[in-house]
Amino acid sequence: METRIRLLLLSIVAAACSGCATMHWPWHHPKTDAADATTSPDDVDAPPPSVIEPQVERRDIKVPKIKVHNIELGGYYGELSIQDFGAQPVTGARIDYHISEDLFFEGTYGRATGGKTSFEYLSGNVQLLSNAERRFTYYNLSLGYNFLPGEVFIGRNLAMTSALYMIGGIGNVTFAGDQNFAVNFGAGFRVLPTDWLALHIDVQDIVFKSNDIGVYQLKNNLQATIGATVFF
Amino acid sequence: MLSLWAVSLVSTPARAAHELLQLFVTQPYLELHTGPGRGYPVTQVVARGESVDVLFRRTDWFKVRTERGVEGWASARELTRTAMADGAPFHVNMGDRAGFASHRWEGGIFAGAYAGATLIAAYGAMSITDNLKIEVGVSQFLGNVSDGYLADIGLAHVFMPEWRFSPLVDLGTGIIRVEPKAILAQPVDRSDQVGYVGVGARYYLTRRFFVRGEYRDYVVFTKTNANEVNEEWRLGFAFFY
Repeated sequence: METRIRLLLLSIVAAACSGCATMHWPWHHPKTDAADATTSPDDVDAPPPSVIEPQVERRDIKVPKIKVHNIELGGYYGELSIQDFGAQPVTGARIDYHISEDLFFEGTYGRATGGKTSFEYLSGNVQLLSNAERRFTYYNLSLGYNFLPGEVFIGRNLAMTSALYMIGGIGNVTFAGDQNFAVNFGAGFRVLPTDWLALHIDVQDIVFKSNDIGVYQLKNNLQATIGATVFF
Repeated sequence: MLSLWAVSLVSTPARAAHELLQLFVTQPYLELHTGPGRGYPVTQVVARGESVDVLFRRTDWFKVRTERGVEGWASARELTRTAMADGAPFHVNMGDRAGFASHRWEGGIFAGAYAGATLIAAYGAMSITDNLKIEVGVSQFLGNVSDGYLADIGLAHVFMPEWRFSPLVDLGTGIIRVEPKAILAQPVDRSDQVGYVGVGARYYLTRRFFVRGEYRDYVVFTKTNANEVNEEWRLGFAFFY
């Protein structure tokens, strides 16, 4: 009997407690769905606590620049045969720009001093030109073509790259107190003992039309030079 | 002082070696020639995975040094198939049609006629965009009655830089110096400002080469009452880089 009453009382208490949980009391504020939505993904996606915090900053790698050596700069010396005025020493400066393995642009500036004509020698004291007028200066802008590139060997251990090139261009000749449009063409040989030094042998003809003796004539001025240039 | 100099001498190669670009061979092998040209024999190959240091460039050839210290020449085309230390492919500015359409520098030489006188000219240009370039030029003209020099600076606009045959217009200003020949009664040298407007075209030939032709109208702002207008045409070879 006692146990029956006890069971009844216990079941009443149990029912009352569960009922309290389901009832909406005014002081009871359950969590809202929105709050659930914001909190629950955070709990899922949060990274696990890391053991080592990486402190290394990303390095900016600087790619080293490649040096470009396409420009040759140098001088030359040789003999220039000025038509009617004898063969005279000539000195000059040159700049070359290599565009491809085959082709290059060249600019040259040279000067020489014309000698005496045969007429001046034979007729005694006659001077056809003043000393200033005898100065022969020229510049050329040319295009060159390495048509026979190759190698030169000295002994067993030394090989040097070389090229036989053809060259032609236009320019200006100042001679006998006059400026003349000139055309130049010729051939040359270039050999490179080191990567930065080149030696040249050149033969060119500088042609222009002149009327320094009163008649328009085509003047051929052959030039043979040796030179050296440095690559920049 | 001497010891300092000696130290600097010793330290220089190490620093220089550090600054060289290192490239890794990603193809089965990289061929090294004995000279900077397609005809020079191949005497060395660098195997895949090995690296080379790039010493310098000449035209479209690169002098490189292998890990074993052997030096040779590699073509730009072959080097585009290598990778840098971070794995990125090595990019080379090549002389081709794409370079013709888009480049930084160009230059060239011309022959032509200015106001009936024979003209020799050279120019250089820097690209602001593929279409717009700043141009600087110098020229000399040799006539029957006078010679002279002309220096100018201007802007050129290329309409279709990607076309093999691309038209252009230009506009600029400059200074002209006229030297009348001594046979004239009053041989007075004259320097004047000029302005020009021109129209022309360029045509891609091969590698880094193109032909350029142009017609220009020059207005010479003389010190007399009337300005002179002179025509010029020019044709020449040019290259880009």
